[in-house]
Order: sequence, then C-alpha cells, then structure tokens
Amino acid sequence: MSMNSRSLLLSPNPNSLKSRFTSGLLRALLRINKQPHQQPRSAREIWKRQRLIKAAAYKSMASSVGNRRAWSRALLWKIRNQRRRGYAARRNTGSSSRQLSVKKRICDLQKGNNNSKNRVEVGGSGQVEKLRRLVPGGQVMETCSLLEETAHYMKCLATQVKVMTRIVEIYSINPIEN
Amino acid sequence: MDPIAGTVPGSALPGPDHEEPGLDTLQFREEIQRLMTVPQQENASSFTALLELPPTQAMELLHLSPEPPVSVGPLLKSSCVNPFNSSLMFPRDVELIQRAAKFSIFGGEQSPEAVAAPSNSGVNMEKVKSEPAETDSNPNSSSMETKNNQRSSAKRKEREKKGKVSTKKSKTEVKEDADKVPYVHVRARRGQATDSHSLAERARREKINARMKLLQELVPGCNKISGTALVLDEIINHVQSLQRQVEFLSMRLATVDPRIDSNLDQLLATESLSLMQSNFSNMAPPLMWPEFPINGSRQQYQQQWHFDALHQPGWGREEDNHTFITPEASLMSCNSSANSASLHTGHVKTEL
Repeated sequence: MSMNSRSLLLSPNPNSLKSRFTSGLLRALLRINKQPHQQPRSAREIWKRQRLIKAAAYKSMASSVGNRRAWSRALLWKIRNQRRRGYAARRNTGSSSRQLSVKKRICDLQKGNNNSKNRVEVGGSGQVEKLRRLVPGGQVMETCSLLEETAHYMKCLATQVKVMTRIVEIYSINPIEN
Repeated sequence: MDPIAGTVPGSALPGPDHEEPGLDTLQFREEIQRLMTVPQQENASSFTALLELPPTQAMELLHLSPEPPVSVGPLLKSSCVNPFNSSLMFPRDVELIQRAAKFSIFGGEQSPEAVAAPSNSGVNMEKVKSEPAETDSNPNSSSMETKNNQRSSAKRKEREKKGKVSTKKSKTEVKEDADKVPYVHVRARRGQATDSHSLAERARREKINARMKLLQELVPGCNKISGTALVLDEIINHVQSLQRQVEFLSMRLATVDPRIDSNLDQLLATESLSLMQSNFSNMAPPLMWPEFPINGSRQQYQQQWHFDALHQPGWGREEDNHTFITPEASLMSCNSSANSASLHTGHVKTEL
C-alpha cells in the first residue's frame, strides 16, 4: 500500500509549485483542524479559522516559491515579522522590538526613496501605486520589476485558487456530519 | 500601437531640428505599423523571433559592411519590429550609451554615404537601416561587436543599429536639409537633452512595454485592450479578484471542513498529493482509500489502541468522510506521528 502511494506521488511532478503548495496547505489545514472545536461553530470561530487558513495558504505559497522571487521574499519576511512582533509583544522584550523598528524604518526610507526615483511613466491614474499595494513587497520595487513580479504573483495566485477549489470540492463530496 | 510606433523611431538624437514634414512621420508610422502587424502573425513571442536572427546576420549588421539593401531588408523587417515587442534587457546601459556616442561620431564621418541611402529610402525602415549597412566597418564597430558577441543578444544589436541610424540621421539632416524630401526622420518626439538619457529612457520604456505585454498575455481578455491605463486596470482587477477568491475559498474551507482531524487519514498524505495533481476527475481513488488507513495506521503508529478506539466509532459514522480525510492525515503522519497520536487521544475523548 505504501509503495502504491509512493508511486502515485512520484508520477506527476512532485517538485512542482503546485505539489509543494498543496502539501504545505494540507499540512496547515490538518494543524488548524486538529484544535478541538465545539460542534456548533460560532461565526466568530469560523472567522478565526478562515483567517488562519488564509494565512496558511499565503505562507505555504510563499514557502513553495522560496526566495526566488521578490514578492515571496517580502511575504515571508512579513509573516515572520508578524510572528516576531506577536512574540515580542507577549514577552515584552525590548531588543526584538527595537530590531523590528529599525528594520521598519529602513524599509520606510527605502520606500520613500524608491517612490521618488520611480518616474511613473505608466501615467494612468495611480494604477501603478494600486498595483504596488496589491503585490507583496511592491512598494520598494521599481516599476519594471514590479510588472515582472506581478506576472509571477498572478500565476501563483491562480495555482492557489485551483488547489483550494480542489480541496473544497473533495470536502464537499462528503456531507458534513456535525 | 501608435505610441510605440512613435517612440521607436524617436530614438536618441542630438539634432536640434525637429521640424520635419509631418507627412514623413505619418508615412513612417504607417510603415512601422505594417511591419509590426506582419511579424505578429509569424511569431507569438518576440524573443524567439529575435533569437531566430542568425548571429552571423546580426554581426553583419553591426559590421556595417556594405550590403545590398535587399538582403538586409527582410532581416531588418523581421528584426526591426521585434524590439517593439521584446523584453529588452539593458544590463549595462552605460556601455550602450558609449557605443551610441561612438556611432554618432561615426555617423558624422560617414555622411556622404548616409546621404546616398535617403535618396531611395522613401518611407521604408529597411532602407533607412541600410544606411549603416553601407558604411564601412569601423574599429569601433568591431569592438562593439565583440562586446555584443559576448552578450549574444541580437535585440541589443538591433537597438544599437537604430540608435546609430537615428544619430546619423540627425547629423545628415543637419547637413542637407532641403535636399531629401522623402526622408524618414527617426527622432524622439520630445526633445531629449543628451543621447545617453534618451537612450536609457527608451530602453526603460521598452522594458516596461515588454513586461506589460507579458502581463497582457497572462490576464484573460486583455489582448484586445489597447492602452496602458486600461491594461493596468484589467491587471489590477484580475489580481484583486484572485485574492478575493482565495479569501472566499478559505472561508469555505473553514466552514466546510468537518473531521479532517482523524488520525487514520494521515496515512494518505501522499495519495492526496498525487490526487491533487491529477485532476481528481476519476472517483476511483476515493474508493481505494478506505482500505489504506487500516494498513497504514498499523505501520506508522505504535499506539495502535488509538486507532482501534477511533476505528469503531469512526467508521460507522464517517465512512464517507474518511475519503477526504485521508489525504490530510497522511501528510501529518509523515511529519509527526507522535504529536498526532497525542492529539488523537484528545479527539477520542471528545468523540466518545
């Protein structure tokens, strides 16, 4: 049985972005669902779970891409910083928060510099800015690389949507027994 | 297409005279458009079209060796359009600028020969490009060629040729204004301060345009839209819709998901992966799943009593659910069976 499963695993490309993302997401889903929950789920709980699942999806996607893309690097950095900030707030350590604040200041400076440098030749009414906000890490990129990152980001988002749809479909096959 | 057509001819020119008969520019633009439409049919990707340029021919272009316009023409026709579409890389704009400067000087020296070309140039881009083809090879050009060969980018050579042509044209224009009426003037629409700046700007613009074309291909239904602003709008909408879809799907996952936490399911993480990749169109795999947990659990979990306890209440109620539960469960099993086992005990208690 295990041999069958392994062969099935290897038949499509096991190292593709899709498979890496899928495994990461499923792992996270399992983790999220492992937490004991009361059966009649309150709306608040559902909303919390949704947030967790969404964060897990983006994190898994960024991890699958790794450090190859600027947007994935920015996204991973943001996630790590969010966690760090959470820990720092909980532990009330001054050093970590200081490090974070310094880095944040550097980032803001970079953003300022880059935005002044980037002559928005694509003159549409603030569309490039909108795009910068949408793509993770878009604030510090130049327009040219922003477009490139957008293309890859769009592709990864499409993969994400496809995989998640598939997961939902599988769940929907079986009626929920609560 | 017009802006692109306008800007490509508008290469960096130091010449001060911008007052050319508008008719020529119009003809030139039409010619450019014609040229642009033709290769569209040939090549889906401009980059491959450029790569199709045999290096020898590209080298000849650079050599500026005298060539009959005919042979150069078709090559130029296919190649000159590509820079409009291609994603131009200009890793070292400085070198390009230096080369352009060299060629501007060079153009001044070769003015008599350059003049010969305009006589028959009319509106054709090919004939315009034949100017440099007729000029003698230069040590500058050879050195430039070696640099280009190192980089092996036909696109850049083509762009440099255009730069040369434009700079030469500016020089020749200055010298003989009134003579050649049907003269294609290739110059920047807005006055540029120096060659280097305008060249760099043009390079940057071309790069951005190339990336925009890439994005246009990615976004469905964006090919028909012309104009950067609308295309950007479309792209932004698409990204936003994808992000909204992810959010919606995560909401569905949060509500839909029931019992993924069963330990039995962990065995089939691998199954889930393969199934994810292979479209799940056939429902055969789910039918096979129920048997896996039995064997897998015994192989992977030492605390089998967990499974026995879960099996009895589990199978009865959740026979259907196990089919989808198994994928995730197997994933977890690969990683941390101990953790899952401890968690399973908790689940056993909650269930019972």
